[in-house]
Amino acid sequence: MATVNAFFLVSAILLIFTGFIDAAVKKKEDSLGDKVSQMTEWNNKKAVIRMNGDKFRQYVKTTPKNYSVIVMLTALQAQRQCSVCKQANDEYTILANSWRYYQQYSNKLFFAMVDYDEGSDVFSSMKINTAPVFMHFPAKGKPKKGDTLDIHRVGFSAEQIAKWVAERTDINIRVFRPTNYSGTLALALLFALIGGLLYLKRNNLEFLYNKTVWGGLALFVIFAMTSGQMWNHIRGPPVMHKNPSTGQINYIHGSSQGQFIAETYIVFFLNAAVVGGFVLLNEANSVKGDPGKKRILSMVGLGFVAIFFSLLLSVFRSKYQGYPYSFLFK
Amino acid sequence: MLVLSIAAILSFSTRLFSVLRFESVIHEFDPYFNYRTTRYLTEEGFYSFHNWFDDRAWYPLGRIIGGTIYPGLMVTSAVFYHALWFFNITIDIRNVCVFLAPMFSSFTTLVTYWFTKELKDAGAGLVAAAMIAIVPGYISRSVAGSYDNEGIAIFCMLLTYALWIKSVKTGSLFWSCLCALAYFYMVSSWGGYVFLINLIPLHVLALMLTGRFSHRIYVAYSAVYCIGTILSMQISFVGFQPVQSSEHMAALGVFGLCQMHAFIDYVRSKLSVEQFNILFRSIVLMGAVVSLSVAAIGTATGKISPWTGRFYSLLDPSYAKNNIPIIASVSEHQPTTWSSFYFDLQMLTIMFPAGLYFCFNRLTDANIFIIMYGVTSIYFAGVMVRLMLVLAPVMCILSGIGVSSTLNTYMKNLDVSRKDKKTSKKNVDHTYPFKNEVATGVVFLVTAFLITYTFHCTWVTSEAYSSPSIVLSARAGDGGRIIFDDFREAYYWLRHNTPEDAKVMSWWDYGYQITAMANRTILVDNNTWNNTHISRVGQAMASTEDKAYEIMRELDVNYVLVIFGGLTGYSSDDINKFLWMVRIGGSTDRGAHIKEADYYTPQGEFRIDKEGSPTLLNCLMYKMCYYRFGEVYTEGGKPTGYDRVRNAEIGNKNFDLDVLEEAYTTEHWLVRIYKVKDLDNRGA
Repeated sequence: MATVNAFFLVSAILLIFTGFIDAAVKKKEDSLGDKVSQMTEWNNKKAVIRMNGDKFRQYVKTTPKNYSVIVMLTALQAQRQCSVCKQANDEYTILANSWRYYQQYSNKLFFAMVDYDEGSDVFSSMKINTAPVFMHFPAKGKPKKGDTLDIHRVGFSAEQIAKWVAERTDINIRVFRPTNYSGTLALALLFALIGGLLYLKRNNLEFLYNKTVWGGLALFVIFAMTSGQMWNHIRGPPVMHKNPSTGQINYIHGSSQGQFIAETYIVFFLNAAVVGGFVLLNEANSVKGDPGKKRILSMVGLGFVAIFFSLLLSVFRSKYQGYPYSFLFK
Repeated sequence: MLVLSIAAILSFSTRLFSVLRFESVIHEFDPYFNYRTTRYLTEEGFYSFHNWFDDRAWYPLGRIIGGTIYPGLMVTSAVFYHALWFFNITIDIRNVCVFLAPMFSSFTTLVTYWFTKELKDAGAGLVAAAMIAIVPGYISRSVAGSYDNEGIAIFCMLLTYALWIKSVKTGSLFWSCLCALAYFYMVSSWGGYVFLINLIPLHVLALMLTGRFSHRIYVAYSAVYCIGTILSMQISFVGFQPVQSSEHMAALGVFGLCQMHAFIDYVRSKLSVEQFNILFRSIVLMGAVVSLSVAAIGTATGKISPWTGRFYSLLDPSYAKNNIPIIASVSEHQPTTWSSFYFDLQMLTIMFPAGLYFCFNRLTDANIFIIMYGVTSIYFAGVMVRLMLVLAPVMCILSGIGVSSTLNTYMKNLDVSRKDKKTSKKNVDHTYPFKNEVATGVVFLVTAFLITYTFHCTWVTSEAYSSPSIVLSARAGDGGRIIFDDFREAYYWLRHNTPEDAKVMSWWDYGYQITAMANRTILVDNNTWNNTHISRVGQAMASTEDKAYEIMRELDVNYVLVIFGGLTGYSSDDINKFLWMVRIGGSTDRGAHIKEADYYTPQGEFRIDKEGSPTLLNCLMYKMCYYRFGEVYTEGGKPTGYDRVRNAEIGNKNFDLDVLEEAYTTEHWLVRIYKVKDLDNRGA
């Protein structure tokens, strides 16, 4: 009798236990299916799923999980002043959009982001105190060292992130950049402007034959080239350099290997001034009018030439240490 | 005349700094190839030179030299050499080559004088000649020892331009034919002739647009284009390009336009006005349609090849950066900073626009040409540093015009004798008070400018452009000079101590020098025409010893040569170039296992010390450079094996080489040569 009781007890416990387990398993299965469908639904609304701390813990960190999540931990709020985060965000969104509208889109990979102000606990729990950080949370297991994108080495362009994603998840995403129409638009605008001008002046096209106009144009091109604008166009240097420790602003690059945009404009102006001085010097002679004016003009021209050339020379000296010559001032 | 001869002698002598400091030796890398070909030409004669297939370079592929170079330079040197020997003045061919460039720069001075005299007057000519004698932009490529195409190309270019201006001004067939001959000389000497063949048509077009077209220009251009193009196609390297490639199409187009324009003028003089108008309109329409369709069909079917990458990158400067990294990486192809302009041209950058302004004031056919030359060359010089060379002459010419005009204007106001001043004061007066002082001031200023210019140019030439780069020098602690002649030491070791058919593997920079001085077969050289072969060498340098050994056996390599600067602090050594070897090595299929990322530390730095990536510390290049270096004390207070260029102690010190054995290391460890061991004996 006792054994039968015991037997019943044990089997009851076993039944209940399996019932629990069953329920638990079903719950797990349901919850995985729920999670996936929830993520897919969010993804349908936005390519990059925005998460706070709780969502992050529930959908990214806890099992069951059969999908990979790429998470961008960033700080996009204005008071954080993280300009890199904004650029990275743009690139990330391009990539996420490319994935979203990709033919081989599946629910095995999702793109998410956590902003510091919405999920600071996430940052602290993973001991991250820089932004942006791109991490990959694989379907199985914990993220390893390679699951954090090394931005310092490869950057955060959409193509680089895609390459990294392909390395970690074997899913190749083709990056679609939305076509940049600004170039064509600018060109079309320019043509329209020129066409309009020509049309307006169609009765009087004399200005095309005016020597001075062409002369001025040629001089402008020359000044632009000699002041290094082409270098700026190809290399894209910064406008100026602010020394972070002393706060001093440098307009002129310290060495001869580089230049700042501000510096090129200064040189442009100096060149133009010197040439203007020369022109004045010579025009002064042929100006009709009272003699005093001629004298003033030529002296002004002379002064221009001397002073601005010395300035030019001193700017040059500051770039080439060891250059031994100077004109009027050092 | 005296001034002119002084200028010519000055231009010759200012280029001799390196000969005086070191010796009469050929500089850099490319000139060694030119020197070798010139030597071959003088020894073997023109026909074998023209048909030369070189099997000692790019082993096992070889290189067709006869058909892939511009022979003008070599032929010129050979002519001088034979002429001198004819008169029993026996100068060695090397000295002829070394001093050819300075001599041609004297000739350039003379031609510049003549050219500017045609444009303006003798005074401007003298100033321009004096300026071009010392302008650093031109000196940099024509010092004694820099035996390169540009040395004579500038002379040819200016000669062609001067003859062109002369033929435009006179309209005579004689000058046009001379111009065509000069153009042929130019085509034979430099690839930059494309600039000429586009500038001259552009000039004709500009003249047409400004209504200055006349029979003189018609005669001049037709003669120059026809004869010049036919002559230029005689150079095998140019071949049929003048009628097939887009770079020459402008000339053809303008030629056609010229004919039409002249024909229309002729017809206009014969017909009445209405008939003429109808005919004119229909012809223009038909002509435009026909030519456009021909051009479109030609480009679409590929008969007319599009702009090649090198020239296209001049028109669209960002093209090279985005699409062709090899072109973008050459240091001479970089864009120009403003300080480079100023460094090379100083005064001229400001006198040049002033001179341009003067030209605009009195426009003539010739002036239009020089204005166009100026503007186009300054654009190209802004895009590519190397083309500063093309800009230098026109800067000198226009500045000469500018200076001479200014001086002319103000010299008139200078009164020489004080006595007359008092008497003429009454009746003069459209001049102004104190004119004498102002004029003196102006003259004084211009003179001061010219003097600063001279000082600057000589300083720049002496400091920056006179190093032969095959012989280095440094100041010792006690002020004396130490000469590093390691390169020649190593090449001559190779020449005397290796078998005749030995094959040497090194990075492509040193290829020309090895063939010229060591006279051994090499795998890759500066011509860089075959990227896959270079990539194979890069793979060998970047792999471990066993993998590299397979590649070296495949390519039959007997000796390997590396440049190492760690002991002396020479920073253009192979370790600093190593990343390029990795990149190029990994860029082809067989090198796909070479990834640049493997050679960096986990933090992304390129380090050679203990923290460095193990792939780097075990690759062939590392081992060859640092073999036995771990036992050497380089600097006081630092441990052994301290690399003075990277400023770090090397990470992998005591290792042995398995497949190589050290053959020779030069005195200052700059060049290290290793012999590739043969296969092991079976059964050992």
